Amino acid sequence: MDAWTGKVLRVDLSKGEWEDEELDLDLAEEYLGGRGLATKILFDEVDANVDPLSPENKLIFATGPLSGTGAPTGGRYMVVSKSPLTGAIACCNVGGDFGSELKYAGYDMVIFEGKSPKPVYLMIQNGDVEIKPAEHLWGKRTHETDDMVKAEMGDKWKALDTHVACIGPAGENLARIACIMSDKHRAAGRSGLGAVMGSKNLKAIAVWGSGAVTVTDGESFKEATFAILELLKGSTTIEGLNKYGSMSSQFPMNRMGVLPALNYQAGAFEGVANTNARPLHAKLVIRAGACFACPIACGRVSRVTAPDEYKGEGWGPEFETCSLLGPNCGVDDLAAITKANYTCNELGIDTMSAGGTIACAMELYEKGYLKQEEVGYELNFGNAKAMVELVEKLGLREGFGDVLAEGGYRVAEKYGHTELFMGVKKQEMAAYHPQGLQGEGLAFATANGGASHNRAGVYASELWGFPYKTDPLAIEGKAAMCVELQHYKAVLDAVGVCQYIAFGKVEAEHIAPLLNAATGMDFTVESLMLAGERIWNLERLFNLAAGFTAEDDTLPKRLLEQPLLTGTFEGQVNRLGEMLPEYYQLRGWDEKGVPSKEKLAELALD
Amino acid sequence: MPRIKIESDKCTGCRLCEMACSLQHIENTFNPKRSRIRVFTMGDHCYPVIAGPYTEVECTSKTDVIIDGHEYDGCILCRASCPAKTIFKEPDVDIALKCDFCGEPPDPQCVKICPSDCLTLLED
Repeated sequence: MDAWTGKVLRVDLSKGEWEDEELDLDLAEEYLGGRGLATKILFDEVDANVDPLSPENKLIFATGPLSGTGAPTGGRYMVVSKSPLTGAIACCNVGGDFGSELKYAGYDMVIFEGKSPKPVYLMIQNGDVEIKPAEHLWGKRTHETDDMVKAEMGDKWKALDTHVACIGPAGENLARIACIMSDKHRAAGRSGLGAVMGSKNLKAIAVWGSGAVTVTDGESFKEATFAILELLKGSTTIEGLNKYGSMSSQFPMNRMGVLPALNYQAGAFEGVANTNARPLHAKLVIRAGACFACPIACGRVSRVTAPDEYKGEGWGPEFETCSLLGPNCGVDDLAAITKANYTCNELGIDTMSAGGTIACAMELYEKGYLKQEEVGYELNFGNAKAMVELVEKLGLREGFGDVLAEGGYRVAEKYGHTELFMGVKKQEMAAYHPQGLQGEGLAFATANGGASHNRAGVYASELWGFPYKTDPLAIEGKAAMCVELQHYKAVLDAVGVCQYIAFGKVEAEHIAPLLNAATGMDFTVESLMLAGERIWNLERLFNLAAGFTAEDDTLPKRLLEQPLLTGTFEGQVNRLGEMLPEYYQLRGWDEKGVPSKEKLAELALD
Repeated sequence: MPRIKIESDKCTGCRLCEMACSLQHIENTFNPKRSRIRVFTMGDHCYPVIAGPYTEVECTSKTDVIIDGHEYDGCILCRASCPAKTIFKEPDVDIALKCDFCGEPPDPQCVKICPSDCLTLLED
């Protein structure tokens, strides 16, 4: 078998046992891999109504057929589970080198079931699997855990090539916005999957392998690879990502008035002069860092040397992190934002949800719903010191951090003002303002895993022209674009490449020849997009079974009813109500958002 | 003699060079452990190392290097394939791997694919 390794590892943590299973190649053809296959397994094997933090939930690490090949950005993997933050299906796309190494170690996928009676970690070396005690790792931060696990590989050369995914104290403490850190600096960030891992007493997974990923036709594969590399090389957007990372968009977005500030009360923030890509690169960034096989290298290796309380080193901050912990919290101190970013990575917290949650608490405080005695800080917007210290407390569930660890929705709910929570399906939004970006509002509202910029990314069209430019204020055509992008992104997540290649105008027509050269199969643009639609609908079916309805496909009321008070898009609200019926109709769903029998038959999901 | 200039400062650690090398030398196969170029991250930076000749005996002295405040084993930066290392050897069979510049005339695939212009072929 080419491209896939053909093997799936199933680990029963309750019994401390594991077994190898053969990959079902027919299913792989239908669902591609990664997000697709993992969704299929979760849907088939997990009752959608289970408590996400119970042993009955499963946690799936899944690579795609292109992971571990030299396909541009071909090192990605997905983590799929039922989310403790949203209660919906969660899928996180992760970079770094863990995914490719998992395949070299012999597996396409690892499925974790049950709950270990004691803390453990999993070590895979060339198909040899060991469940090892992790009491000595419990409580450790992610970087130390990574180093300690590598030191246990027994051979310094092996340790160099070992890649680790682990949780920090936040995951152990079941913070609902805990993430899984991979290769120290990359994350399965959103939806609280770190807590699922923590609930299973699984601290880490270490992989090493000297195996290969083979392709059917190396020459054609090389040709298709260079065609994509040429496209990426010719793109000024990709050049910008290489030079200034994802932060390249913060300054222009602020100027356009679509950068969320002060918990989405505004679309621009004066302090961006201090937080944008230029000061970041002048003061903190050391070099560009790439994930496996990625020519874009949007990662930023950075170091804070002053002031003393914010000293640290690591990767970041990226755009979402910097914008949500920065402008959205009214904070303009770049060193503080970067420190909060490092702390999130070390404790294993989703930086985006952390920013959204703290911003929500700040607004609750400013409106008088939350008292200083309770928080321990004057929690006004712009209090950088409080923001940094609360991130630490959040991960450790200390003091008010214990409340924040539940995520923004539950914080707002506790104080009786859910209208101040800026998210969808209980997940905090990414840093794109839906009152200036109509289509992105629809994308947030309809994303299966709760608000996410990575399920469709209509913002890229509205802001930068990918796949083509649309007017941010127009609603015509946005539903169709959202549907198409949701399918395409599902394809990218399933085959094991990064969504950023779409910004280099890499489309399904470029992915199909690459995948065919790798697998020896006969994928077409149509069959790939159909697979994407199948994945999307299956996720939807999981959510419907979990009790979600059309009422959950919405945005915070404020964004729908109260016009934006400042900036370019002053006076605008998001017109979701006008786009959503068209979206359902285009999807072949009824007005309640339920896929029709015909649609399910068309997708072979009946 | 052909030379490859390595500008480590430009390396992003993407390892596309390892992929290109593997595919060039082993038909239809991607396997970094069989590549004749490897990229190692130390401190804040990445260092591509290109496999040199096999030495039959291990060094009798060792070096440690301090990079960005962290201490590393100097062997990691050494090009030689030697008895003390498992890298630059075919896995399992232990046969030494050495860069061959991808044939004559030299056409190193790592140089060709490097997206950061970190590797340059020099001929003199």
